[in-house]
Amino acid sequence: MSDSKIAIRVDDLTVAYNFKPVLWDIDLEVPEGVLMAIVGPNGAGKSTLIKSILGIIDPIAGSVSIYGKPYDKQRKLVAYVPQKGSVDWDFPTTALDVVMMGTYGKLGWIKRPGAKQKKAALEALEKVGMLPFKSRQISQLSGGQQQRVFLARALVQNAAIYFMDEPFQGVDATTEIAIINILKELRKAGKTVVVVHHDLQTVPEYFDWVTFLNVKKIATGPVKDIFNDDNLTKTYGINYKVAVNQ
Amino acid sequence: MDAQVEIQLIAAVVAIACAIPGVFLVLRKMALISDAISHSILPGIVIGFFITEDLNSPLLILLAALMGVITVVLVEAIQKTGLVKEDTAIGLVFPALFSIGVILIAKNANDVHLDVDAVLLGELAFAPFDRLIVSGTDIGPKSLWVMGTILLITIGMLFAFFKELKVSTFDAGLSAALGFSPVVLHYGLMTVSSVTVVGAFEAVGAVLVVALMIAPAATAYLLTSDLKKMLVLSVIFGVFSAIAGYWVAHFLDASIAGSMTTVLGLVFLMVYLFAPNKGLIAVMYRQKQQRTEVSLLTFLLHLNNHEEESERHVKHLNEHINWQKVRSKTVLDLAERNNLVHIDKNIVSLTIKGKEFTDLALEYIITNKDEKIEHMKDDFFLFRG
Repeated sequence: MSDSKIAIRVDDLTVAYNFKPVLWDIDLEVPEGVLMAIVGPNGAGKSTLIKSILGIIDPIAGSVSIYGKPYDKQRKLVAYVPQKGSVDWDFPTTALDVVMMGTYGKLGWIKRPGAKQKKAALEALEKVGMLPFKSRQISQLSGGQQQRVFLARALVQNAAIYFMDEPFQGVDATTEIAIINILKELRKAGKTVVVVHHDLQTVPEYFDWVTFLNVKKIATGPVKDIFNDDNLTKTYGINYKVAVNQ
Repeated sequence: MDAQVEIQLIAAVVAIACAIPGVFLVLRKMALISDAISHSILPGIVIGFFITEDLNSPLLILLAALMGVITVVLVEAIQKTGLVKEDTAIGLVFPALFSIGVILIAKNANDVHLDVDAVLLGELAFAPFDRLIVSGTDIGPKSLWVMGTILLITIGMLFAFFKELKVSTFDAGLSAALGFSPVVLHYGLMTVSSVTVVGAFEAVGAVLVVALMIAPAATAYLLTSDLKKMLVLSVIFGVFSAIAGYWVAHFLDASIAGSMTTVLGLVFLMVYLFAPNKGLIAVMYRQKQQRTEVSLLTFLLHLNNHEEESERHVKHLNEHINWQKVRSKTVLDLAERNNLVHIDKNIVSLTIKGKEFTDLALEYIITNKDEKIEHMKDDFFLFRG
């Protein structure tokens, strides 16, 4: 561990909603090049952890660094896929246009996307198998197709670290396989991928790194070392097997 | 310029200036906020008027815009306590601020040109009387200059920050992660909306300015799935209603603002009924088609499952699938027209195409994979989700 680079470091992070802690004194180090799942029961603070790393939620204490610097300075190294349900899919726009939004970060304020950005967006759509749907209004896409558009939007950011909030929520089996294959390719290319994940059964198959979270951090490390009954019980309580079989 | 042309010009400029922020308010589901702002700016206008004694002073606009932003801040602060929901918070904030304005007028401004009627309804017909005179030369109605300036600023902001407004409206989380602060954009939009409402309220009043912001955007939303087109259509609807409303008022000898809003309402009603995809009639037609197609599929599956002729006799279909007569005929015709079945001596059989179609449909129902039925979506409504 000591000789590999740390992509994400979280120190003493505490987040509260209305004075109720949602994340409590989280310390976390994510090494470069892992495909990591964040698992934990509902309300464990999984999405909140990602959002506070990305500066979308302000923590009441603690700090976050991306490759040793605050997130503000490293935005261009990071791509983010929010939960599919967090946006209004009736918004008047097309699949291509949504993917183009991924290029906005590097453009900065006021500057508009041009031919170069469009080309990158089309390539990303191609990669997720959505090129034939580029002009389709986003409400006319199925749940799985919408998720792939979101993934393409992250790919077009060409980042070093990818955060994804439940990318497998409500998608069909084909899309799930397509997405996980792309995530594995990203890892192969040396990228770091952090995924909020619900399905405990697929953790060993999909991921090589895992963080157990339930308001406090329970454990973090390689799946083969720490994905065991002990940590599952600590995270989910005595009935974790029910959670596995859901 | 004669007064008639001037009034129409002012109406059109007001309509455009309202339509642009209106599109974003509608997409952000914040239509009610514009209602709140249009009322709660009143104390700002009254205080500004006491200081300057001039209804067109820029100070009025600044103070009123400030009140607009304060409204938004208060609504969000109350909402954040978690004790009440957003609509309740809006309902608490704006009547309170509005009533402060009403009391201020009643106590202090009884003998000046500022009354509650004018604030609520405005009077476009008087706008040309108030001229802007620069070193002795009359350069046009004051309100045209005020609204024209606001419109130019709005258009400038729209062009500069179109991509930022789009991404923060669609996906605030991504917008924040990319470094386009949704809070800054939100308050920017609220400031522009407040300034527009203040500028427009003198012409059309606090109540009707809401219609000018929301109705064109809501109408355009039903017609397009492209943000840029939605903006253009909103502007067209706004201007059309402004001009048409003026002439309706002219012939009926009625309030201009009232006529403009009535036209806006009628335009919305027409589009709501007749819009090609999202219109009420289109939706009803589609649902009827879908019902027929579900029946068709049931029928095809029935044929697929039964070899015996007794099950496939035209006359027996009613009993077996338990449909009304009219329905069976519609479905049978639809199947025949698409070459999915052929009828030989009153016995219905699947054609090769019909068999393939049924297999594909079955597979879709079982696996729910979209790719396989892409080409079928063009022929049938059923799979379009």
